[in-house]
Amino acid sequence: MSTKDERILNPDGGRYPFKVSDEYFDHLTARIMKQIPEEDVKPRMQALSYQNEASGKETKMIDMNKGRHRNLWIRAISIAASLLLIAAVALKFIPMSTTSSPTETLTAEYTDDDYNEDLMTYTMVDNMDIYYYLASDETEEDL
Amino acid sequence: MTKIDEQSILRRLQDPTMKRRAFEEIVNGYSRQLYWQIHYLLQNHEDTDDVLQNTFVKAWRGIDNFKGESALFTWLYRIAYNESLTFLKQRRQMTSIDDEDFVEQADFVADEYFDGDETENLLMQAVSTLPTKQKQVFCMKYFEDKKYEEISELVGTSVGALKASYHIAVEKITAFVKGREM
Repeated sequence: MSTKDERILNPDGGRYPFKVSDEYFDHLTARIMKQIPEEDVKPRMQALSYQNEASGKETKMIDMNKGRHRNLWIRAISIAASLLLIAAVALKFIPMSTTSSPTETLTAEYTDDDYNEDLMTYTMVDNMDIYYYLASDETEEDL
Repeated sequence: MTKIDEQSILRRLQDPTMKRRAFEEIVNGYSRQLYWQIHYLLQNHEDTDDVLQNTFVKAWRGIDNFKGESALFTWLYRIAYNESLTFLKQRRQMTSIDDEDFVEQADFVADEYFDGDETENLLMQAVSTLPTKQKQVFCMKYFEDKKYEEISELVGTSVGALKASYHIAVEKITAFVKGREM
């Protein structure tokens, strides 16, 4: 290095040639804290509501975790209902190892009405789609 | 600079009733230090002020995820660094310049916050042409005389890579100044 660059790059380092008034730093914390939303401090409400900037009103939000848990339950009950439906259909149509016809055996102990009633009881609890499906089948049979 | 008791602050951040006050202490304790770190990269007061405020707003949003695995200042510094990069990227997009390392060469004489002479102006002009990483390492080493180990912890880069970056930065500054003399 020679001439000017020697003066510029001092081996001991140099001073950063910018300055900002103390007044700027004195007010900086207050300015930043003004941008930190007060409602964020509330631990639970942070997730469940927020301040609408336009209207100034508090807007409620759905607790997504709660919904997720509910969806899991609905899914579990739907699966259970579907399995019951398959089991019930299998019992009705798969030939049994008896001398009498399956229909006769079943009709003797377990009538169509009983079958439909049980089926409805199990399926309509939480799965309206299956209920509507069965209801439409019954109408077709009746016709 | 206010002395920060990080353990006490981390404890109070867990308590919703004390969280805001604890965060205010963080802002008060680190804003000045962080200001200059951002200024090294942006070299402009208004831009630095904007990025500094964004840094603390982001820090507040993410403070619940801070588990104290690094020093609080290191965590804040990394947010500030990322915010600075985002700012520079947006500025490049606004000026339609694709080169990531391109920095418009500045003249600081007209800057009301510049407090140097002609030689220092030339030095800062040379620094302004450096890519962000080199600028970061050069400023911490040259203006603050930080140890490489300290810089390494802060920026998450190996000491060897930092030494190489500093060496390249010095070479570039030297070449810049020589170019001006001719």
